[in-house]
Amino acid sequence: MSQNRLVVKFGGESGQGINTLGEILSKAIKNTGFHNFAYREYPSLIKGGVASYQIDISDRRIGSSLRMCDILPILDIDAIHEYIYSVRENGIIIYDSLDLALTEEEKNFINQNSIKLVSIDTKELALDAGGIEIMANMVLLGFIWRILGLEIAPIEEVVRDRFKDKKIDLEAEIKCLLAGYNSQQTNGLEKPISFDKGLNLKDSLNITGNQAIALGAISAGCRAYYAYPMTPSTSIFKFIGDTYRETGIVVKQAENEITAAQMAIGSMNMGTRAMVATSGGGFDLMSETISCAGISETPLVLVLAQRGGAGTGVPTWTGAGDLSLAVNAGHGEFPRCVISVSNPADAYLLTQAAFNIAEVYQLPVIILTEKQIAESIFNIQEMPEPIQIERGLNNGTNRYEITENGISPRWVPSEENPVYLQNSDEHKITGESTENSKEVIEMSDKRLRKLKTLKDNLPEPVYYGNENTETVLVSYGSTGNTIRDLITDQTNIGYLHYSYIYPLKFEKLTQLKEAGKQIISIENNQTGELSKLIKQESGISIDQKLLKYDGRPLFIEDILDFINK
Amino acid sequence: MAIPVTEYNTNVRPTWCVGCGNYAINTAIKKTLSELDIKPNQAFISFDIGCNGNGADKIKVNAFKGLHGRAIPLAIGSHLANRKMTVIADIGDGGTLHEGIEHLIHAVRSNYNITILIHNNENFALTTGQATATTQESKPMYGLPDGKPEREMYISDLVLGQRATFFARAYSGDMLQMIEIFKSAINHKGCSIVEILQYCPTYNKEANPEWFAQKIQKLAQPVQSLEEAIKTSKTEEKINTGVIYQDQSIPTFYDRLQNRKNINTELVEEVKNYDISNLLKYLD
Repeated sequence: MSQNRLVVKFGGESGQGINTLGEILSKAIKNTGFHNFAYREYPSLIKGGVASYQIDISDRRIGSSLRMCDILPILDIDAIHEYIYSVRENGIIIYDSLDLALTEEEKNFINQNSIKLVSIDTKELALDAGGIEIMANMVLLGFIWRILGLEIAPIEEVVRDRFKDKKIDLEAEIKCLLAGYNSQQTNGLEKPISFDKGLNLKDSLNITGNQAIALGAISAGCRAYYAYPMTPSTSIFKFIGDTYRETGIVVKQAENEITAAQMAIGSMNMGTRAMVATSGGGFDLMSETISCAGISETPLVLVLAQRGGAGTGVPTWTGAGDLSLAVNAGHGEFPRCVISVSNPADAYLLTQAAFNIAEVYQLPVIILTEKQIAESIFNIQEMPEPIQIERGLNNGTNRYEITENGISPRWVPSEENPVYLQNSDEHKITGESTENSKEVIEMSDKRLRKLKTLKDNLPEPVYYGNENTETVLVSYGSTGNTIRDLITDQTNIGYLHYSYIYPLKFEKLTQLKEAGKQIISIENNQTGELSKLIKQESGISIDQKLLKYDGRPLFIEDILDFINK
Repeated sequence: MAIPVTEYNTNVRPTWCVGCGNYAINTAIKKTLSELDIKPNQAFISFDIGCNGNGADKIKVNAFKGLHGRAIPLAIGSHLANRKMTVIADIGDGGTLHEGIEHLIHAVRSNYNITILIHNNENFALTTGQATATTQESKPMYGLPDGKPEREMYISDLVLGQRATFFARAYSGDMLQMIEIFKSAINHKGCSIVEILQYCPTYNKEANPEWFAQKIQKLAQPVQSLEEAIKTSKTEEKINTGVIYQDQSIPTFYDRLQNRKNINTELVEEVKNYDISNLLKYLD
């Protein structure tokens, strides 16, 4: 594997400050000129339980994690047993005591892999440096920074910037950072970043997938956000709320997801743009509203941020097992659009596209994301150019006029416009309810024609890599990031990435199949939901699958192991 | 000059039972809008599913016939998008107190400037007479030959307990009073709850015009306190109708939004590409 990567993984208890450590390190790495990708694992509780914050450092833009790390600083003894087997050969484990109570098996693993165990009393160093015990984390950070062989200035600047408005002794924090950085104990531990620095990344952005969705919605003129907290969608609410003084967006935390979805169709129908975001359970509650939006032809944009498992599942872990839900949610038959984001740049643009599609085609649009995209920090150079708003508003005689492309005139209720009834009953062209056989068929057929029109206008999935390979992987979402990171080195595989999931385009896939390619689907779910949809829509069977459903994302090694098998 | 009531008519024939209170309520809404000089396209009504909801295509205004129990949040979303629109949620006792009871309670708490008209005919009539929370305990109902084994719920207790800023009770047999109440409700700046005692000649024959005539007494003016309002709203002896309680001192939800204080446009006027470059500083 020639991936130019160096991985630092903080392990500890939830609530010990590993997020702060990770965020500072991630930003300092970026400002030093290296790309990085930061991935969090944490339990569904506030204090205690094992958590980690992993930063993959690279000389190129990456969007995925390795399973194995080079440096594992541990803040809590339990974390060592959780993460010891994710340390690579010649790796370093750092803890403030050598009393690790390792099992025989763990000791053997350390010996066999020449892993160094380093004890550094960060608390004592913090006190010696004039700090307080809680500043031990700063000592650890300085210590790691020295091991990486980096100059102190960028990280000092990030620390100063981060704590500038906090009521803490900033100078003492810096002294602790330096105490770790200048510790003699780093001698012999050097693990310098061996690859070249990237470009000047100082002005580039460290951004999560959820922040990008929020920015996409704001950019697209979304003026109301209806929230109900559910991991991993909640940080969309946070970003839109944190910026609401500037944007003027109306933010309403609703009493439940049904309410949020209903408020959203109310606002969209009235003629503004509104959005809701939730995870699987909350999305289930929104299903009836999705069906209502479908038959009444009301634009609606929902974000479905996926996590692992059914029921409450593994609520703070990742997965992509809600694709079938998104495609099938809601009773009755009606057109919809399902889009899957994979990284901040496409999340930003696809969210804008979702609003345009919802309004132009007058239907519900579901934006799929995953915890792995939602909460991980990606580095991107800048936000892409926004997409122009298209609203598809035009006056007509009848709100539900039968048309060839299935799209009826839609106008916004206002003093200037004639009134109409938006109706979730089956209706005549005027909006009046009907149960007449002919009218029911005509209106149902008209609605379904929109799906054909939409499909014709959607792009084919994007092919990455060498066109002449024998093997083509097919996927979507965060798994696509892992594959794209991998194929820069693995020139013998190609990759077909789906952003627009439904209605499904399969011309490119058919060509690949007919060219005799070996097609493999790789999915972060148990039953191969994209493969099933492909089979249903195109008839193409994908027999080879790599499926992962333990709440963890697809790591680079997962795919390599599978391909090399 | 008032807008002619005929302006609000559609040519859809009503499908309610002979004697149903919905005829009068439908007319009262039209007359109210007419007398308040609210044109058809200046009003928006979200209709629930139920006999009342079958009135959705029997009045010419901007309307949305949505889902059972959800008329209130749909109305709220509409109101927040465009406050120039007079927004009414039209819903039955089944939809309000069963499927969507959370919406009623939270709407009262939030005090949106909308009007909620609750048609209370004490049963799920469209599905042929099942018990609701307002059905009398002992009364045999669909599937419940011995009546429901539960106590009743009172809309007034529910909303006044949540400190509603406007509560009125109307009766479908009193057109003139209904219009006056609806007018007060629409004019009230805040969440106006109107319980309409609606005669159901098919599934609630006991509560017929003669019965109502004996029970109802009209309140001359609203009472002064919530405690008094709760007491006045009790229905054991007499049933008080009219505007029972109003508190104009509580700001609306929208008026409490700090970030909208200096904005004079409505959300519907603000849909345009927003330059996000100033927001990137929040990424840290």
